[in-house]
Amino acid sequence: MESLLNEIAHCVEFGKIDLKSPYPPDMKGKEGAAELTKKALDEGIPAKDILEKGLIVGMAKIGIKFRANEVFVPQVLMSAKAMSTAMEHIKPLFITGAVKAKGTFIIGTVAGDLHDIGKNLVSMMIEGNGWNVVDLGVDVKPEKFLEAVKENPNSYVGLSALLTTTMVQMEKIVSLIKEDHPETKILIGGAPVNENFKNKIGADFYAPDPQGAVEYINAGAA
Amino acid sequence: MTYKRKNFEPDFSNFEKVLRREKPNRPVLYEFAFNIPLLQRLTENKFTVDENDYMTYFKMLTEASVMMGYDYITVSAWRLNALAFPKGEVDQKKSKSQNEGALIKDIESFEKYPWPDADSYDYSLYEKIGKGLPDGMMMIPNSNGGVLENVTELVGYEQLCYMYMMDAELTKEIFDAVGSRLLRFYENVSKFDKVGAVIANDDWGFKTQTMFPPDMLREYVIPWHKKIADAIHSAGKLSMLHSCGNLKEVMDDIIDDIGYKGKHSYEDEIIPVEEAYKLWGDRIAIIGGLDIDFLTRSTPTEITRRAKALLELTSEKGGYALGSGNSIPEYIPYENFVAMISAVND
Ligand code: B12
Repeated sequence: MESLLNEIAHCVEFGKIDLKSPYPPDMKGKEGAAELTKKALDEGIPAKDILEKGLIVGMAKIGIKFRANEVFVPQVLMSAKAMSTAMEHIKPLFITGAVKAKGTFIIGTVAGDLHDIGKNLVSMMIEGNGWNVVDLGVDVKPEKFLEAVKENPNSYVGLSALLTTTMVQMEKIVSLIKEDHPETKILIGGAPVNENFKNKIGADFYAPDPQGAVEYINAGAA
Repeated sequence: MTYKRKNFEPDFSNFEKVLRREKPNRPVLYEFAFNIPLLQRLTENKFTVDENDYMTYFKMLTEASVMMGYDYITVSAWRLNALAFPKGEVDQKKSKSQNEGALIKDIESFEKYPWPDADSYDYSLYEKIGKGLPDGMMMIPNSNGGVLENVTELVGYEQLCYMYMMDAELTKEIFDAVGSRLLRFYENVSKFDKVGAVIANDDWGFKTQTMFPPDMLREYVIPWHKKIADAIHSAGKLSMLHSCGNLKEVMDDIIDDIGYKGKHSYEDEIIPVEEAYKLWGDRIAIIGGLDIDFLTRSTPTEITRRAKALLELTSEKGGYALGSGNSIPEYIPYENFVAMISAVND
């Protein structure tokens, strides 16, 4: 069982989606995360174990390598694709309650800003680490964040902004959410955002990359 | 009264000295692009600019540039609609997503794509604009997006990530189709007498790394930039690269392999320009660099102080031109912009 879970983790870490995927070249013709996850389920391995000891382990490894600049966005995307393809087999089990998400993470690019690559990466990494992600998209108005928090109690919120003009909108969003839901933890990121700015606007966490966010919310959920 | 640089006469040889990493005779200013309301304000609202009326725009830019104290004007290909790669529909609100509007996804769509001809454009417009310049002033042309930028827009960022890993052949064909046309464009514009230097613009990075692995850039992007830089140099002109984001991994390629003479675009969150100057300033000219967020949210006093310190830091060895880390978007307050450029006044 352990070796199969290790193999699944390996497929996610190196972006091996399924049998027919030619990537990575050294795994060409081999089974990928999709087949191995199906196999593990067929062998009776609990879905929770496949997720926590297989798929998530692979995502955590790629996240750490990305933070260390050992891999780049394309490799992360391949890992996320391997993860999400494998998840097709696991997802039905969420409904039965056999597996549970760690919690809910709401994310969006703030009003006036339509950059989405960074936000999508954060979203993928967090989802790949076992969280339910509510992606509000780009150009998201402050009220929409608040609404999502109301609909998803006890969730975390992530705000992304690439320009100074849109970054300063974050302050409004933070105070709007904190006014009604002071317990909500808000994470911020994007090109001009830094630790000082986080402190200035009263957000809870800043990270220059997705892995920091994953570790922060995992610690809170533990 | 609008702002005017003291005792200023345009003299492009000062900018050339910067790109040769020499000491200019006086401080030199550089800006890649200005927002239009700023140019209108500096020229006391004499000009109304309509998108198709590029001559009025360049007249206004020239007049404003002399007032502000620049030795050149940027002649943007996007303003002239020179060599534009047709793009798909994008939701053009205030900003745009890098995944939208992709037109090429496979060999069929690649072959069907209406590739523009880099030679069919009426380049005499460059001559016309050059004629409007006062003595001592030159043009610095750029292109309508760079090699990586255009391919990214044609394929879509995420799709390009998958494509280069799954289909190296098609990836190469697309890069060659874009790169060869941009090369031709740069050859065409470099030859004009009034072109003093050329800036190649191509964003390669973001906050923590390059958008693609350095090896991918070395395979598909950098060889075209080498050809572009060589073409600029063969025409007897100096070259610069405008490329945003974290490029630490490929700075050696930019300096030693491609051979660009100057590097533009810096962010404090990545590497403050002062550090960039210390790190690379003896190998490549450092152009601009005052962080956009800093310019937007600091006080004029803080801005003048930092700009003066930067001029002081670079005064001994030269190879530096003062300016912003990217461009002057409308959200940089006027007073803050003036606080930066007035640092050259004493
Ligand atoms: C590509 C780009 C463009 C392209 C966009 C192309 C497109 N189709 O989207 C073009 C050329 C159009 C462009 C235009 C402009 N740009 Co621009 N652009 C960039 C660039 C180079 C990369 C952005 C990107 O795609 N990043 C890729 C992703 C992966 O990175 P990311 O978003 O940062 O996300 C990562 C982290 O930040 C983090 N993260 C992101 N969100 C979140 C959220 C949370 C919760 C957490 C924890 C982490 C996190 O995780 C991600 C993965 O690691 C940046 C430089 C930079 N440093 O980012 C400038 C940059 C954003 N642009 C800048 C500017 C000034 C402009 C213009 C105003 C220029 C002008 N004068 O017109 C216009 C504005 C357009 C607009 N209204 O949006 C400035 C902004 C400065 C500022 N402080 O305001 C930057 C920073 C460049 C610079 N040199 O200063 N741009």
